[in-house]
Formats: sequence, C-alpha cells, structure tokens
Amino acid sequence: MSVAQVKRISISDSPIPWLLPLVSLLVVFTIYPLIYNIWLSFHEFVPRKRALQFVGVDNWVQLWNDARFWSSLGVTFAYFVIALAFELALGMAIALLLDAELPGFGALRAFLSLTLVIPPAIAGMMFLLMEDPQFGALTYILNSLGLLDKSIPILATSSTALAGVLLAEIWQWTPFMVLIFLAGLRSLPTEPYEAAMIDGASSFQMFRRLTLPMMSRVIAVAVLIRGIDLFRVFDYVFVMTSGGPGTATYSLSLYAWQQTFSFIKWGYGATLSLVSLVIIMVLANIFIKVFKVRW
Amino acid sequence: MHMSAGQRTLRTIAGWLVVGLFFFPIYFWTSVAFRDAKDIFSWPPKFFEFPPTVRNFEQVFGISLGFGFGNQDVVTPGGGNFYMAPRLWDSIVIASMSTVLAVVVATLAAYSLSRMDFRGRHHFVNWVLSTRMMPPVAVAVPMFFIFKQFNLLDTYTGIILVHGLMNLPLAVLLLKSFFDDIPAEIDESALLDGASRWTIFRRIVLPMAKGGIAATAVLCFIFSWTEFLFVLTLTQTSIKTVPVVSSTFVTSIGTAWGNMAALGAAAIVPAFIVIMLVQRHLVRGLTMGSLKQ
Repeated sequence: MSVAQVKRISISDSPIPWLLPLVSLLVVFTIYPLIYNIWLSFHEFVPRKRALQFVGVDNWVQLWNDARFWSSLGVTFAYFVIALAFELALGMAIALLLDAELPGFGALRAFLSLTLVIPPAIAGMMFLLMEDPQFGALTYILNSLGLLDKSIPILATSSTALAGVLLAEIWQWTPFMVLIFLAGLRSLPTEPYEAAMIDGASSFQMFRRLTLPMMSRVIAVAVLIRGIDLFRVFDYVFVMTSGGPGTATYSLSLYAWQQTFSFIKWGYGATLSLVSLVIIMVLANIFIKVFKVRW
Repeated sequence: MHMSAGQRTLRTIAGWLVVGLFFFPIYFWTSVAFRDAKDIFSWPPKFFEFPPTVRNFEQVFGISLGFGFGNQDVVTPGGGNFYMAPRLWDSIVIASMSTVLAVVVATLAAYSLSRMDFRGRHHFVNWVLSTRMMPPVAVAVPMFFIFKQFNLLDTYTGIILVHGLMNLPLAVLLLKSFFDDIPAEIDESALLDGASRWTIFRRIVLPMAKGGIAATAVLCFIFSWTEFLFVLTLTQTSIKTVPVVSSTFVTSIGTAWGNMAALGAAAIVPAFIVIMLVQRHLVRGLTMGSLKQ
C-alpha cells in the first residue's frame, strides 16, 4: 500500500499538535498499565494488613512452580491452535464456495457478517443453552446423530468442554475469515488462471500454485488479527464454563482475572497478565517480521 | 471458470446450506426469546412448534405489548428482577460517547500520519498497532486501581474513557487508510494557495472522508457494544452493559433463558442494522485498514 506523502512545504507543519491527544491517551492505556503491572508483580496484597507488601520475586517463583499456570498456558495454546486451524480451513473453503455469482450469493455474503456483531458473551450464552445436557438443541442433534452419548454433558466433561467452547468461537469467527478471504479472492487477477487452464491445470493445482501464494498477504493479516484475539480468550470461557470442569478450559486471561478479582491476589494476577502480554507481543512481532505484514 | 447447469445448482444449494447452518444459532436464540419456559425446558427440544409469546420482552423492558397472544402478565415497569431497559440505555450511552471520543482523537492523528512526513513515522504506526495487542486483562487491573483512586469506578466517564482508548488503534489505522485514498495533491495545491493545515483538514479532507469516518464510527460503536471484560471489571452496581448483565441471568435457582434471549435479541438488532450500512467498508474495517475491498 503506498503512503500518500506531501513534500514539507512549511516548517511550521508539525505533526505534534495532531498527535498529542492520541499519544497522551495511549500512554495512559499502555505505558502506565505496563509499568504498574511490573511494579505490582513484585508485591502482594496482605489481607491482614489490608495493604500491598513488597515480596521480591516470590510471585515469579510461584508462577514457575504453579501447575495451574502451566495448564492454563496449555489450554490457551490449544484453544489458539485449534480455533485458528478450523477458522482458516473452514473460512477458505466457504470463501471459495461463495466466490461465484449465483442466485442469492450476494445476500449470503452480507448475511455472514451477522455473527460478527453479536457480543461474544451472548454468543457464549447461545451455545451454553444449546449445549445444555437436559434440553439443549445441539445436545439433542448430536445424540440423534449418534455422535454423543446422552449421558455426557458437553461442558461439564473434561474431555469435551474445550470442544464445546471452541464450537461457539469457531461459529462466531469463521465468517470473519470468510469475508476477508472473499475480498482477497475477488481482487485476484484472472490472467494467471486463464494461462493455467490452457496448460490443463486441475483446480486443486491452481489453488495450490496460484490462489494460495497470491493470497498469502491476506491470510497473514487475517491470522495476525484473529490470532491476537484468540490468545486473550476470556468471554466465552467466563460465561460458558468459568474455566471448568477442573482446569479443562482455564485460559490464561481467565486465570489472571480470577487471581486478581476473585482471590484478591493482586500481585500474582498482575504477574500472570504480564506473562500473557509478553507472549502476545513477542509472537505477534515475530509474525509481523517473518510474514512482512505492514500497515 | 465454467460451471455446468448441474454444478451451478449444486453449488447454489451448498452455499445456502452452509450459510443456513451459521444462521441457525441466531434463529434458535431469537425463537427462545418468544417462548414460555415450558417450551424452552423441553426434551426433545422444540425447534419450530411452540406458541409464541412476548412475555419475555415485556418483563425485560417493563412495557405491555398486548398483542393478545400468549399468556400475559401484569407488567410493572421498574419492578421485577429482569427489568433491563436502563441497561440498554447504559449500553447506548457508553457505545456512542466512546465512539465520539475515539473518532475525534483518531481523525486528527490519522490525518497527520497520512500527510506529514516526520522521522520515526513508521515506528509510530507500529507502536499504535502494538497497543492493539494488549490483553484486556493486563489493562483492566491497573485501570481498576487508578479508577478507584479517581472515583471513576462504576461511572459512565470511566467506561467511556476505557472503551474510547480500546478503539483508538483500530480507528487511527483505519482512518489513515481512508485518508491515504484521498490524493495528496489536493492538500499540496491548497497549501501553495496559502491555506493552513487546519483549514485544509476541516474544509477539504474531512468532507471527502465522510464515508470512511462513518464506517470507522460504526465499528467503534460495535466493539464497545460487544465489549465484556472492561465493563465486568470496572463497573459494580449502577452501570452495566447488555453483554455483562446477560451473564447475571444465570442464578442459583436456574437461568432465565427467555428473558436473557429477549434482551440479547433486542441488543443484537441495532448492531445488525448498522453493520449492514457499512458492508462496503467491512473488510477494511475488520483488518484495521490493511485490506481494501
């Protein structure tokens, strides 16, 4: 994308007054929380004294030895990888399917954007109701198809709970991928395909050799934006399972939030959220470098 | 590519089926809003066959719709556990005011990022982008303590501020892409004619970027409308937005699914309408200005 640029015509043409409101707000929103979290991670709230106390690296040592932290990290990574894989594959398949001028397809493409405006907490509620073991519609459908035993409550069984949450996630965000990929597909040049047709290439070959490479930037942008959100998953697990059963759906964000606000372990909660922040920043920046995503 | 008549029919049906599958949960949820409890708690679950009732809406919004179907209760406005009209109002106030905040601040910044050349501009844009990566939980905790200090917990001001801030990276990057679409020669010749930057911005560029600004505002509105963690953390009793209050319908004596679905459905409708208005810029918005349609 080319950036429009004007030659500097007058010296008084300074960006500072234009950027000042933004910078001051972003400092409050990013630099301050960062410093505060770092400071807090070396302290802990002592209920007896009703005050914060300096505890050195205790929180970091505790983190290293905390099995629940490692398990929440594992859950977060599993959630991230599975959701991303399904959303990418389904998103691409549906985009390829809908990339044609057939009756009503224009309306269908617009229709798909509807899932994106539903608050994730409410989408979580929708699936909580549908996955209810006693009267859930989805439970019923899965039972009838013989895919699920009636005695298994989806969200209260450790082996299926994460899948139950992922269902809501994948349902809501696959259309995000579809819409982005559709826009990408529609901007592809047609000549390479015509040439490939003459050479007698199969449609799978054309997809692998032409579509995928030409779509790489579009896919990279979609993965980056969705990936960031996936790694901070909170809403779905909060409303659907509260992390349970056991620790089966405990995400890192949920664990950090609960330590802070349910167990009043402010220092440890800050340590956890700091870890989550660092992982996202590092992964996202590596991704941006490797795939040369630019804004 | 050529498709035979059979292929076309098959593909049309497949397309409709797939999108129908995605639409099903929305249909089901909306239908629950129009059900009596016995039609919600039934096995096998009912998909289509139930007598519709507006009672859930009446309870949630404290109004008597009186369409004459279903069993109607006497509804007392302001009474009942599930009277939620004020929560809808909270959502509206917070989403619209935070949108104004984000769009005003972001428009100024985006204009200068699009038009002025200064050292480190590329790094500045990357910094703005990286603030989008902050996990909300890492921001919510420090915000909780600073808000406590300044008495901003449980106030409109506090949530508006946080939602406005949360939307800034998106708004800046998206608006920058819209400003980049307007040829810089226009600014250049006006500058040569002696117009100031401010005049050019207000008189020429802003009117030309109207559509882009509207699309940005819609997306900011929706992200505030659907936000959960900040509202959950930074409000207590006097303010709650729809997503957060919905989760409180789960009580120890059971979940008021009908009421929750009614509130949820009512909250989703306005978002549906506005998203339809900006379809043209949707992908650009979802990718923060990175991909154009």
